[in-house]
Amino acid sequence: MIYVIDHQDSFTWNVVHQFRKFDKVYCSNYFNVDYKILNSSETIVLSPGPGAPKDYPQTSKIYKNFKGKKKIIGICLGYQQILHNEKGKIIQQKNIYHGYQSKVKVTNKSKIFKKNKTFKVGRYHSLKLREPFNSNSLSITMRCSKTNIPMAIEDTKNKIYGFQFHPESFLTENGDFIIKKILSN
Amino acid sequence: MKDYKKYKFKFNPYLESLYQSDEPLIIYKVENGYNIYTHFSKKIILTNRNINKFFKSFNKKKYNKETDLMIGFFGYDLLCNLIGLKTVNQKKSNFYKGIFYKPETIIKIRDNIKIVSKLKHKKLKISFQKTQVSSPFKMNIKFPKYQKIFDYFSRKIRQGETYQIKICTKYRNKSKINPINFFWKLMKVNASPEAFMIRDKDYSIVSCSPETLINKKGSNIFTKPIAGTLKKNNGLDKKKALKFFKNNIKETKEHNMIVDMERSDLSKICKPGTVKIFKKKFVEEYKHLYHYVTLVKGQLINKIDLKDIIKSMMPGGSVIGCPKIRTLELLNNQENEDRNIYTGSFGFIKYNKDMRFNIIIRSILNYKNFSEISAASGVVLDSTAKKEFNENYIKAKSLLELYK
Repeated sequence: MIYVIDHQDSFTWNVVHQFRKFDKVYCSNYFNVDYKILNSSETIVLSPGPGAPKDYPQTSKIYKNFKGKKKIIGICLGYQQILHNEKGKIIQQKNIYHGYQSKVKVTNKSKIFKKNKTFKVGRYHSLKLREPFNSNSLSITMRCSKTNIPMAIEDTKNKIYGFQFHPESFLTENGDFIIKKILSN
Repeated sequence: MKDYKKYKFKFNPYLESLYQSDEPLIIYKVENGYNIYTHFSKKIILTNRNINKFFKSFNKKKYNKETDLMIGFFGYDLLCNLIGLKTVNQKKSNFYKGIFYKPETIIKIRDNIKIVSKLKHKKLKISFQKTQVSSPFKMNIKFPKYQKIFDYFSRKIRQGETYQIKICTKYRNKSKINPINFFWKLMKVNASPEAFMIRDKDYSIVSCSPETLINKKGSNIFTKPIAGTLKKNNGLDKKKALKFFKNNIKETKEHNMIVDMERSDLSKICKPGTVKIFKKKFVEEYKHLYHYVTLVKGQLINKIDLKDIIKSMMPGGSVIGCPKIRTLELLNNQENEDRNIYTGSFGFIKYNKDMRFNIIIRSILNYKNFSEISAASGVVLDSTAKKEFNENYIKAKSLLELYK
């Protein structure tokens, strides 16, 4: 079972349907979490959403509680939430990407995707990770091939994964492949 | 022009006497002509309290004949309330939150005129309403105020609170109108695919809405978001219009966002794996403009409630912004006036639960001797307040000109 925590986004149900291709999915609002179902889920997905990670202390709490115990996947805001809780700084970027298709490239840090492989992906984000970012466990595993902005993170030991782009968007080619890889890892 | 003549001047004495009467009626554009609905045997004024009952009433109904449907509109406020949002800070005009009618007569204007009715011979009371304008149009938001909202929303986009947001401005004058004349005049300039007119005793709506929000037949549901409009001119054909849209970054990213949002809205009510982009990013040609549209399709979950369909799809994303909830909260805090019908939805629900609904934009609402015309344009970072403010005027122009 996969539990999708919805931050009231207008893309969340695309995420739900994408994950339903691989497993049972339960979805609820971030302020309305069913802890019984959450406890019995193997995977937690933090959905995209408006605002910044600090606006959602409930989600941060869930992240801290379940880190290392369940697989956690963050998308867009969800990805930023993971970084925010791992001492990353989330800042505004100069150029805003809403509805863009960009190319991302896999870095040499990825243990799941082949180095230098590129994907065309859909982006909807105003904020980004400030660099330098140093972490013992999290690695930046994809970057925008044009701007070098971090686009994905992995912590294979704790099974934590995040994407700044939207694997569920129709702008992302091979989105299902990316999710399948993460879920089977 | 030829098109318009075909329908308007198809002289039919019965239709003329209907136009000249005070009988409430609705005209709705259909694919190959117009339908007129009249002789309403029931009229339901919707409120937050009776809306659940309204949706549930369709569970007991049986579809036997073409007139077995309810036709009408949901106002913006009612749709916000349905998804749990309140619009407390807004000045209300006390216009109806929504009304649906049960017609006993449908007149189909095609190559010829066909009347489906039990009540065709009901006596009509003649009452001709002349258009009278008693004050010039005024805008509810002046440019300095608009700029302030625009800048505030631009900041919100930078902060990631919203990805796109539309500001609504209103033109208002004191006037009485003849909605039938207005409607046919409007069809001459812009026979948009979702055009409609409602004439009731105490209000009228004249609209050239372009966008189909819900088209449901059986368990199949379609939505056709429009993002991108181009005025026709000499030398521009469909192919060139498509090229323009494809090369225009602003239009493309707005379009992308709406498509993903509509996919998500449909996914909430459809079976997993059935939501598909049926036809991606194509151009539809109308008399005076080109629209950049995408057709998205899904298959509804078995036995889904009508209310859940409406809640998931409305208010229509392309005229609000994205993500819907946060963006609506921002809008409702900044816009100080009720949107009334604007960005609400007009359409019908058949007794077999098939339905069609549009997004109400490009419309005149005439109520209590006042006309209001709303227009909205998007706050996007690579645009300017001035440009978008003027865009609102351009959008309202063909409606404002009807009063001349």
